[in-house]
Amino acid sequence: MNNSPNIEPDKEVPELKEGFFDLLPKGLIEFLNEAGEIARFAGKFFKQVLRPPYEFKEVLKQAFEIGYRSLSLVSITSFIIGLVLTLQSRPTLVEFGAEAWLPSMVGISIIRELGPVVIALICAGKIGSSIGAELGSMKVTEQIDAMEVSGTNPFKYIVVTRILSTTLTIPILIIIGDAVALYGSYLAVNIRGSVSFTLFFKQVFDSLEFSDVVPAFIKTFFFGFAIGLIGCYKGYNSKKGTEGVGRSANSAVVIGSLLVFIIDLIAVQITEFFGFL
Amino acid sequence: MIFRSADMKNGPAVEYGEPVIEIAGVYKSFGNNHVLKDFNLTINRGENVVVLGKSGCGKSVLIKCIIGLLSYDAGSIKVFGNEISQLPIAELDELRARIGFVFQSSALYDSMTVRENLEFPLRRHGKHKSKSEVQGLVEETLKDVGLLDAINLMPSELSGGMRKRIGLARSLILHPEIMLYDEPTTGLDPITSGEIINLMLNVQKKYNTTSITISHDMHCAKITGNRLAIIVNGTNYSDGTFEELSIIDDPQTHPFFE
Repeated sequence: MNNSPNIEPDKEVPELKEGFFDLLPKGLIEFLNEAGEIARFAGKFFKQVLRPPYEFKEVLKQAFEIGYRSLSLVSITSFIIGLVLTLQSRPTLVEFGAEAWLPSMVGISIIRELGPVVIALICAGKIGSSIGAELGSMKVTEQIDAMEVSGTNPFKYIVVTRILSTTLTIPILIIIGDAVALYGSYLAVNIRGSVSFTLFFKQVFDSLEFSDVVPAFIKTFFFGFAIGLIGCYKGYNSKKGTEGVGRSANSAVVIGSLLVFIIDLIAVQITEFFGFL
Repeated sequence: MIFRSADMKNGPAVEYGEPVIEIAGVYKSFGNNHVLKDFNLTINRGENVVVLGKSGCGKSVLIKCIIGLLSYDAGSIKVFGNEISQLPIAELDELRARIGFVFQSSALYDSMTVRENLEFPLRRHGKHKSKSEVQGLVEETLKDVGLLDAINLMPSELSGGMRKRIGLARSLILHPEIMLYDEPTTGLDPITSGEIINLMLNVQKKYNTTSITISHDMHCAKITGNRLAIIVNGTNYSDGTFEELSIIDDPQTHPFFE
């Protein structure tokens, strides 16, 4: 039996062909790499979230930091959105003699789309950047290493708690923001006309259906998850010292905001597909 | 030339306990940057070894490998006879409770007060102590580093030297058997640096610790180290007492003592 390798010296060695990924633009490959890393980070979150020990105290602390400290910003911006939307829509509706539809139109706009998306974008800016910068700074000052040395799983203690907090807190902020925006709208309606508080809100809620409220509410959990995930991912993987901290905060806002729009687009498609819901 | 203290026979022999850290043939690379190459070092109980070397030569990487913060590519690191790379996470955490690590940047948790910073390792390492016991330990350790008054301050309110001392206190709170110091005097003025060195000596005396100190500071090395190890090109190039190494006429070793 001949065990020598089958060498054919005269045979031409074929040139190495470019792989599929070599043909793709560098930017696209970097984007795919980043998306893969984020997916892996999300996978690690789901793996860790179910395993004890459960850091309930830290989740509550973060929910307070994230939720309570964002409440005033969310309330003010929501109030202005409700007020301005009503003032801007009124002349057009008056032109068509449909002024009475103002509460319904504003209500549907705010509950279905404007409230969740605008408040999620505000949260991506405020909460996403704050998580990105905080974790980035913890990383470059070795606080994450210090936690590990102290017998703590830093991913669970820092990342899992923050993602859980944003997932649970941002929907609550959006509900409060929607309510404040509707109140702003009620005040705007009463600048030029006179509608009672009860009548305004009766008109708003009469025009809302199950398919307006439930999908809009469900997608807020995904917004919260995405904002927390990106903030933590960027901060936890921060590099290059203090410069990296700034970059982490910045890219947490950019990618978080982009994800809010992508999730919104997907949510709308799903809602349309199951239109009867 | 590689110098080992065993090469010099005329010094008085000092007896130490059994080996507590055994590093044999360790390799560690970051991409194409080969930081540690066949690194060997054994530290016996009661010894205080100072590791010297140029910036970026792998000194901090070495102690992070010892405590399991970084994994190594090849070789063996045994602490109290346990191979670090093979320990399950729960056992690694138990081992870490016996090791104090003082970070170069102090690594105090910014969102916690000094008291909470010190309580953190006690709570996390599962040492079930009553509230009064925890309070007593925190106060005693802060007294040791002379900063009891800072107990309710936030890290942002502390000076660089105070942060180092609180970092040291946090690593002492579990009464570790081994101390790992990562550049404890870097960035400090000579007076504060002297205070930190005195604290390290007090810790050695009071807690009877074995230690590895990473440093560029020859004054700190001379005072705190029983033995020095010099890293050159990722290996333990020279190894001996300060007096032994300072008289060697070797181009790699001599510059440290100029």
